[in-house]
Amino acid sequence: MVAPGAEERPYGWWKLSLATHWTHTLELLYLLVRKDLKVRYKNRFLGYLWALANPLAFAFVYWIAFKFIMRVEMENYSLYLICGIFPWVWMSTGIANGTRSFLVNASLIKKASLPRAVLPLSSVIQESVHFLFALPVIIAFAVFAGDLPVRAGWLWQIPMLVGLQIAFVFPIALALAVTNVYVRDIEYLVGIGFSLLFFATPMVYPVSMVPEEYRRLFELNPLHALMQSWRSAVLQGSVEPAYLAQVAGFAVVAGLIAWALYRRLSPRIGELL
Amino acid sequence: MTPAVVCEDLWKSYHLHRPVGLKALVVGAAKTRETRFARQWALSGVNLRVSKGQAFGVLGHNGSGKTTLLSVLLGTVPADRGRIELQGRVASLLELGAGFHGDLTGEENIFLYASILGMSLRKIREQLPAIVEFSELDNAVESPLRVYSAGMMARLGFSIIAHCAADILLIDEVLAVGDARFQEKCRDYLRSFKQRNGTLIIVSHSMRELASLCDEGACLELGKIVDSGPVESVIAGYTGRAAAVGAARPPVQP
Repeated sequence: MVAPGAEERPYGWWKLSLATHWTHTLELLYLLVRKDLKVRYKNRFLGYLWALANPLAFAFVYWIAFKFIMRVEMENYSLYLICGIFPWVWMSTGIANGTRSFLVNASLIKKASLPRAVLPLSSVIQESVHFLFALPVIIAFAVFAGDLPVRAGWLWQIPMLVGLQIAFVFPIALALAVTNVYVRDIEYLVGIGFSLLFFATPMVYPVSMVPEEYRRLFELNPLHALMQSWRSAVLQGSVEPAYLAQVAGFAVVAGLIAWALYRRLSPRIGELL
Repeated sequence: MTPAVVCEDLWKSYHLHRPVGLKALVVGAAKTRETRFARQWALSGVNLRVSKGQAFGVLGHNGSGKTTLLSVLLGTVPADRGRIELQGRVASLLELGAGFHGDLTGEENIFLYASILGMSLRKIREQLPAIVEFSELDNAVESPLRVYSAGMMARLGFSIIAHCAADILLIDEVLAVGDARFQEKCRDYLRSFKQRNGTLIIVSHSMRELASLCDEGACLELGKIVDSGPVESVIAGYTGRAAAVGAARPPVQP
């Protein structure tokens, strides 16, 4: 049999989708996020407190290890940990869940035509909702644990940082999700990658403790810029515009790469799942 | 008559791209033999033309490409080559429970599934009583879906799709689960859907169902259309060939 040219792709799946209107995509996103939250909290006695347990336990362990045992000398160290670890856990679980989102929703991908990018986006938004639930805890810590003067002034920075972090995280989740369908090992690499990155990013130590000759390198890491923005927003009440620009720049580049990958790879994922 | 669905020279191969682990990347994937269930071309050169207001039945053995054809029409799987033209909005009931979630109640699932099918929230809220009414599930829609039987799920799924205002419905062997009375109700609905100029494409192994609903049909064999035309003659041809194949195979020894 003569093999016809496989390159000809006369139509794209997105054109056939009923869900081409963006308001509908938003509604679908809303329903998917609501579904995940409902499923997660149904029959759980402590409900949303579980969203706090993980980052709090993290922060507590590092506080014991580094403050109590290794005796890191640093002002407001517990607050430094908490302000970094909450957004970190949001980012890493959002990306990890997003990476798996096409595999988890295989039946939807195969049997329904919907804008597929909405699935990793819903993973990311769902984790954002958890983070927003946890925000009062961070603020309470800032007020009570660190003896910082309460400033209503820094509150406006929080929605900005939330938006920036979603713009930063979603392209990464989308790119990993679509490649993970082709090479299934990626979801494991993501887990390992985040363990390594956690210590390669100034999270439990300040960047000023990094030896001078390597500090430039550490500061190039966009994750450092993002996490440092969170910490300085809460601890100093201000954010460095240079860091914000670094995060935004990374988000734009990641977004372009993710979009190209998604356009190229997503039409085929229906048959690979 | 204006065509609602046109396919011209549709080719689809699943073997051009397949999932690879790191191992397969390094070692290289093994070559597969061409058989009925593992051949290179899942669809080879399929032509199809379905007019508005018609029901079209697709027949064929397991692995003959029926589901692939519907997936390509729905757009979840892209064709390698060929042209597809669809007039209007497509909705599908390809698999029972796809898009349903066991921990959500029936009603919450109605919202989610209807939205996946392309309905707006406003429209879903409007149609909700009608959907529940059609399914006859009454207050069972407040129970989580995991306590539903397959029949109840079929009722819910079909009721949603019946209210999603699509112009073209793709249905893959999912009507068989409901009880006789509900199946009759579905058939009645599909007939009225046709009368309202809706187009149906149905995959089924139930010749009776195809005969009672469809006007035209096609029979797929190894990804090719071997027979098409009025549904009665396609069914007759298919059952004739199936009998011939059955006779050619030696009976299984007990």
